[in-house]
Amino acid sequence: MTRELLQVKGLSKRFKDREVVKGISFSIAEGSCAALIGPNGAGKTTTIRMLAGLLQPSGGSVVLLAEGRPVADPRPYIGYLPQMPVFYPWMTGAEFLLYSGELAGLTRREATRETGKWLDAVGLRDAGKRRIGGYSGGMKQRLGLAQALIHRPRLLILDEPVSALDPAGRKDVLTLLQRIRLETTVLFSTHVLHDAEEICDEILMMREGEIVLQGSLDHLRRTYSEPVIRLEVGGDEVSRAWLAAAGGKDFVVQSEISGGRAKLRVADVERAALELMADAVSRRVTIRTLEAGQSTLEDLFLKAVRS
Amino acid sequence: MMQFKLFFRKEMLEMGRSYKWLWVPLVFLMLGVMQPVMTRFMPEILKSAGNMPKGMTITIAPPSGEEVLAQTLGQYSSIGILILVLSVMTMISGERQSGVSQMIFAKPVSYASYAAAKWASMLSLVTASFALGYGGAGYYTVQMIGAVEAGAVVKAGLFYLLWLWFAGALTLLVSSLLDPAPGIAFVSLGAALLLSMASGWLPRYTVYSPGSLPQISAQWLEPAGEAKGAVGAALLCLACIFIFFAAAVYRIKLRYSKG
Repeated sequence: MTRELLQVKGLSKRFKDREVVKGISFSIAEGSCAALIGPNGAGKTTTIRMLAGLLQPSGGSVVLLAEGRPVADPRPYIGYLPQMPVFYPWMTGAEFLLYSGELAGLTRREATRETGKWLDAVGLRDAGKRRIGGYSGGMKQRLGLAQALIHRPRLLILDEPVSALDPAGRKDVLTLLQRIRLETTVLFSTHVLHDAEEICDEILMMREGEIVLQGSLDHLRRTYSEPVIRLEVGGDEVSRAWLAAAGGKDFVVQSEISGGRAKLRVADVERAALELMADAVSRRVTIRTLEAGQSTLEDLFLKAVRS
Repeated sequence: MMQFKLFFRKEMLEMGRSYKWLWVPLVFLMLGVMQPVMTRFMPEILKSAGNMPKGMTITIAPPSGEEVLAQTLGQYSSIGILILVLSVMTMISGERQSGVSQMIFAKPVSYASYAAAKWASMLSLVTASFALGYGGAGYYTVQMIGAVEAGAVVKAGLFYLLWLWFAGALTLLVSSLLDPAPGIAFVSLGAALLLSMASGWLPRYTVYSPGSLPQISAQWLEPAGEAKGAVGAALLCLACIFIFFAAAVYRIKLRYSKG
């Protein structure tokens, strides 16, 4: 039985006459990893800032539970990494970690020990002695993770932790997150679905300030995935014409065809695949690929965002 | 208290690494020493200027030591205040604009100790710089011009220091309210200037105004040294510094906390 760690009820935020977050409710279980997904401008950052206690909600409540009881000030239990972490450029990485550790309530000795530990963990052991002013974006993001985790928070809140990084930096941070999530509950926002699938088990999908879809990754996959056939044919005219006509067959529910590729949502994958292949052979159509499978979360995401 | 020490240590370190602890005291020292030295050598300077008609003699009545010190304070009223405002104006707004304060306030920190550390470090910088500059001025005055009455000089210095504290506190408050640095400089300098000018124009209504502190300290240095409303002005100034502090704490809290 998992306990709830964070309960959000009817949370809303209004900036002047624009309602950015429209009364959303969700909860996060202890030990889980939740991703807040949505297109840019969906209200993810606003939500995250309210959860981290940096922005006063216009309505609703955010309750953090420690040992099953709500706490008055959630800040000691939360580690927060903003979208673009900024540090004091004149400090060294080690000095900043020590400073944030002590600010979070660690004693000098504990903070010194944790600083060394986390510098190792995020791979900044040598860079820790240099001024932050000379760090790269990836190094800053890793230092940001370390400062968010130094006081062993129960909930780690990350705002777009990998969006601004190059593939190598992104891989580093995701690997780190995979390790961290074994010990800490994690909530992070992203507009890249792939990142969420890689490390998360809970999904919260936001669109225009509302949560349009939520649940565990497995549940969403089971409930919303549909049988899909992906087809790619040769460039000759016969094949192209055949592909265009394929969308009109009776077992096709919906079709997307562009150039030599098609994505067909079908009622029964096996029957559809057999019929398509038999048809293609009889008309001498060259099939490059034929993939019978399920629609991905990406499709679901696009559908939820566009609907 | 623990957090105040942390914040204070960080502010001191920052002022050290950005060389504020070097250049602000140096500028104050230069301003202070320049006045007695210039006064002492004024006849020579004029002589060497060269474009005087032949046979012309200039006699400058040698000023008293107290007069020279009063002129020194006049220097601080213009360039001193400018340096002071420029050196502390981004202490709060800079961290807010860069976004580093987001990370700081997501931790369980107290807004009051955050602001108190800013105030304390600003006061230490101002006090040390002014003490150095005014001390230097006093030393050179005694060496080059003549003896001064120590009691009056110390009193004048203390009242002037209060005025500098006021200007610093005002700048920090504006820094917690406004974002753009030029705006902060303009508003704080303008307000300080207006206050001190107002006490020149409307002495009747501004007896206890902090803006009259520079005049009060100049009066202490006059031969019949007796200043009107000195205690009242000093108390009101201290009260203002505290009110500015409280207002800034409230402002910072409003921006970041859930209230």
